[in-house]
Amino acid sequence: MRLLIRQLWDKFFTGSAVVSILLMVLALVLILGPMLARGGSAVFFRGTVEFRKMQLALFNRGDVEEITAESAEVAKSRKVIFDTLNHFRRGIETEHLIDRARKIYRDYGDQLRQQNTPSEQYILLRSQAKKIRNKLCDAYESVDKNQALEDLGWVIQQQDNTNFKGTLLEELFTHAREYKKVVQSIDLTRREQYAESLNEVQTILRELFGPLPGEPTPSLALFQYGATRWDLAQKYLHRLLWKEEWVQTTPNQPLVRKEFERKTLFTGTELESIFDEVQNNLSAMLKPSRTFYWQYFIDDHPPGYYFGGVGPEIVGTLLITLISMLVAIPLGIISAAYLIECAGENIIVRVIRTCINTLAGVPSIVFGLFGLAFFVLYVLPRFHLSPKECILTASLTLALLVLPVIIRASEEAIRSVPRTYKEASLALGAGRFRTFVTVTLPAAAPGILTGIILSVSRAAGETAPILFTGAVAFAEIPRSLLKQTPALSIGSYVIATSDNVGMNLPHKQYGMVMTLIVLILCLNILAIWIRSRTSKKLHGY
Amino acid sequence: MSCKKDPIGYMAHFNTKNPIPKVKAAEFTQPLLLTPSEDWKGYLSNSAGRIFLFAITFVSVIAVLLIFIFIIREATEFLTGNNLKEFFTSTGWYPTHNPPEFGILAIMAGTGYVTLVALLLAVPLGILAAVYLSDIAPFKLRQIVKPIIEILAAIPSVAYGFFAVLVFSPWLEVNLDITKGTNALNAGIILALMALPTIISVAEDSLSAVGREIREAAYGLGSTRAETLIKVVIPEAHSGIIAAVILGMMRAIGETMVVLMAAGMSSQIPSPWWDLADGVRPMTATIAQEMGETPKGSLHYQALFAIGFFLLLFTFGLNMLSEHFLARVRKRKRG
Amino acid sequence: MKKLMLLCIVPTLILSSHAFSAQPSGSLQLQGSTTVGPIGDAFAEAFKKMYPDVSITVSKTGSGDGAASLVDGRCDIAMMSRFMKPKEFKQATTGDNAFLPVAHVIAMDGVCVIVHPSNPINELTSEQVRNIYTGKIKNWSELGGPDSTIVPISRDTSSGTYETFENLVMNKEKMAGHVEYVNSNPQAHARVKFTKGAVGYVGLGFVDNKVKALKIDGVTPNQSTISSGKYPVSRPLFLFTKNYPKLGSLVHEFCTFYLKEKGQEIIESKGFVPVTNY
Repeated sequence: MRLLIRQLWDKFFTGSAVVSILLMVLALVLILGPMLARGGSAVFFRGTVEFRKMQLALFNRGDVEEITAESAEVAKSRKVIFDTLNHFRRGIETEHLIDRARKIYRDYGDQLRQQNTPSEQYILLRSQAKKIRNKLCDAYESVDKNQALEDLGWVIQQQDNTNFKGTLLEELFTHAREYKKVVQSIDLTRREQYAESLNEVQTILRELFGPLPGEPTPSLALFQYGATRWDLAQKYLHRLLWKEEWVQTTPNQPLVRKEFERKTLFTGTELESIFDEVQNNLSAMLKPSRTFYWQYFIDDHPPGYYFGGVGPEIVGTLLITLISMLVAIPLGIISAAYLIECAGENIIVRVIRTCINTLAGVPSIVFGLFGLAFFVLYVLPRFHLSPKECILTASLTLALLVLPVIIRASEEAIRSVPRTYKEASLALGAGRFRTFVTVTLPAAAPGILTGIILSVSRAAGETAPILFTGAVAFAEIPRSLLKQTPALSIGSYVIATSDNVGMNLPHKQYGMVMTLIVLILCLNILAIWIRSRTSKKLHGY
Repeated sequence: MSCKKDPIGYMAHFNTKNPIPKVKAAEFTQPLLLTPSEDWKGYLSNSAGRIFLFAITFVSVIAVLLIFIFIIREATEFLTGNNLKEFFTSTGWYPTHNPPEFGILAIMAGTGYVTLVALLLAVPLGILAAVYLSDIAPFKLRQIVKPIIEILAAIPSVAYGFFAVLVFSPWLEVNLDITKGTNALNAGIILALMALPTIISVAEDSLSAVGREIREAAYGLGSTRAETLIKVVIPEAHSGIIAAVILGMMRAIGETMVVLMAAGMSSQIPSPWWDLADGVRPMTATIAQEMGETPKGSLHYQALFAIGFFLLLFTFGLNMLSEHFLARVRKRKRG
Repeated sequence: MKKLMLLCIVPTLILSSHAFSAQPSGSLQLQGSTTVGPIGDAFAEAFKKMYPDVSITVSKTGSGDGAASLVDGRCDIAMMSRFMKPKEFKQATTGDNAFLPVAHVIAMDGVCVIVHPSNPINELTSEQVRNIYTGKIKNWSELGGPDSTIVPISRDTSSGTYETFENLVMNKEKMAGHVEYVNSNPQAHARVKFTKGAVGYVGLGFVDNKVKALKIDGVTPNQSTISSGKYPVSRPLFLFTKNYPKLGSLVHEFCTFYLKEKGQEIIESKGFVPVTNY
């Protein structure tokens, strides 16, 4: 082959090798980047006054006076909108108005009886009041503007009747005057339409600001507070200002999403102004400020799982990992010690090594099956415990999973201790056991520690073995070893695929997986650092 | 009595009439190593210690045996009682239908599809990266790249699955105009990323184990670096590379969470057979999805154990194969 | 090195000691359907306010698992979106710990067929839905929509929603191989939300403005058509207990919470149909 082609081929090969490494690094950055960044928004974000209120109420965090002062300020700036809303509602929610009119009529009747009016006058006044009430209710219910104005005019005329001066009935007249103003500004035929759109606007306002003033406190925590984060608030604001519609632009093609201003649904009414009002003054109404919510990592789930942090998951993961390490570390180090110090080259040792390698190669889901069949259904009944999945079974399954990793790492660490250490100790008269415990093991300790840290990170990240041997998503911190526990890995799986709350709050989803990744990355970086330090000591590079 | 023929006085030892009196040596009247009968305490503690250590080490053997026993126990109940031929050749997996139908052909094909895609992507990339690390990279760069590969290996599978279903799948649907973002292609690419670190580390080990002499001989004959690597070093390290590929395959077959979230969960063989953008349902995902809800001891439960049994058999076989190749590498390293 | 280990161990011990503190008074374990799950969660939240010492765990793994765990004794209340099968009944009433399962209907629900909002189709007949899931219809153009492949999404086989769908729509026919199985209502909702050509079925409480519920046989699924039974795929939602719970016990309170006004408000806020009108 010509020299040039050979050299080109050489360059090409080197280039493709470099490209493959770059691809891997790129893949790492692409995978970790978005998840860590979006997860970080669960801890660093701009929180609103609603967030601070929620923290005070659910977690007792924050200065009560400050928050009350803030709430008062915010209520003042929101008052404008709510007043407009209420005023508009009066024209639309007529059932409420009719009920009120009836109540006034009944109260008037009571008042007359209390004043001991003679029965003839009583009947007369009451029948007149009834007529007024009925006309008013007709005006409320009618869709014909002119008819309504006529009825209202008649009612208002009645107020000149001296019999009714100073009585409760005057309220009816005030209402009639108010309603006249409403009728003059609203297109009554579109009342149904207004009602539906008004409902939508009210729902979004509830999402933004919490329950509207005058409404009873809802029983679920998720409805008790408005938008707790500024980015969520922006999302709701966009939904308030723009309504989406799917229109068919070309026949036989999927519909296309179009947005139009919600303002246009309320043209000519007083509600039109609140859209601009909300848009311009949102920051005064919500008071966003930079929040560093580091308590995310230790907060419990309050009921409803809408707020709160990943505290239970972290505790669950640490518990399971700790217990499995307690079982696996002694077994692993002792096995490694035996294999290096005492084992000969006979067939039994070959079988043992094969088994350790097999254990390393078993798929994680088969470990889960084994944990279920053995620990849950076979071992627990032997101890007269009910065959329920619990932390104990999950930890034991994980212990089996990490055992080969610890054995291999310990073996490598013990083997890499220079022979001179051991020979020097033996020459000074120490027995073999003493040599191992006082000389070899401490020298191999950094390597063993690295192995332990790596297996901790492996155990913390495994999901399949604990999926049906003891872990559940969204539970409380377990109070005994015989209960099930939440864990970061299974929580990430459930919140990524099948959780209702998570779907609407992406920062919760990414937050949980970010916690898991950060935990594991820290452990691994620690292990790498320890290894590089001891590598210098033992090998010189 | 020494004389000319016997300057040392050697023959005195054979003088039976006047033997040389035995002189006591300074301290050691007994040999240093005590026999068991003389030091029974030390012997017992030594043996007991060794037996204790052996017993602890034997736990791993017991664990493997138990795993096999318990899984085979549940699986054979199913396999002996039912139509094996239907089990292996039918593609319909309807365990809760009336009557239930258990056919794992589609499920095994699912595992095959994702593993194939993963290997097709991971093996070339992995070998190239291993070559880069062992031959081309300067030392400092190696110190940086190795930790990056370790981090890639340490990321938990749930995080990969999370990425696959929430970030990668919508991207596939929008940019590549694929109907369903969770499919064999998606799962295969992510599995390739997970198998890469395994392949790279084992292959790099075996490439480094090829001695310098072979490389130097090739360079001395005038080959470029690419030719040395392709024609000399890689064939020389072929057993290690095959072991690396097998280990990567084992990782891809045994992975659960990524395929559970991203492979599409349709128990079918994609039609047409080359359509990778269709959902599949590998064995591990079937077990993980259905195990939590099956009543213990039912036929469905035993069928899932049967799937687990075949998974175990398969990975066990692959493990033995990789051990064989790794042993050859170790032999080369030693001598 | 020692300091490092101490630094790692001490926080773990502190955190885990939190786990082994005092026992709560009264605990309730619910397990079962992902459809009834949100109601269970919401009731648990309301109970937490009324009885702060009670701990209630709600585990959403599917109706079949709920029944199995009630029989095994692993939970106190099973949430199910279908009635118990004869096999499950038999398992409950025979054996050492035999009991009679008692069903409490806490809400009504309709299984809505949902598609992506960009899909121009607004209604289908049950026959057409059946043909989609058995694989006879593969493309939206056959139903009058755009030319794209249908991606049918179904619940897994232990789900009560799946059972209802199978009985009332599928007429017990087998689903095609290319149907994708998901494990829960929110997952089915998410798949349809993200995939343009998808069709799936979820409970009424999971229909929001990100997906579009279709009219089935000309009837729109909403509160009135479901409570009157006009919507063809409506079903009651159950809470199953072991025998009738003792009057005044925690289980009894939980199972009769739906009769109180607060319970009705919660059920309605979650999007289901209350059994009564308060």
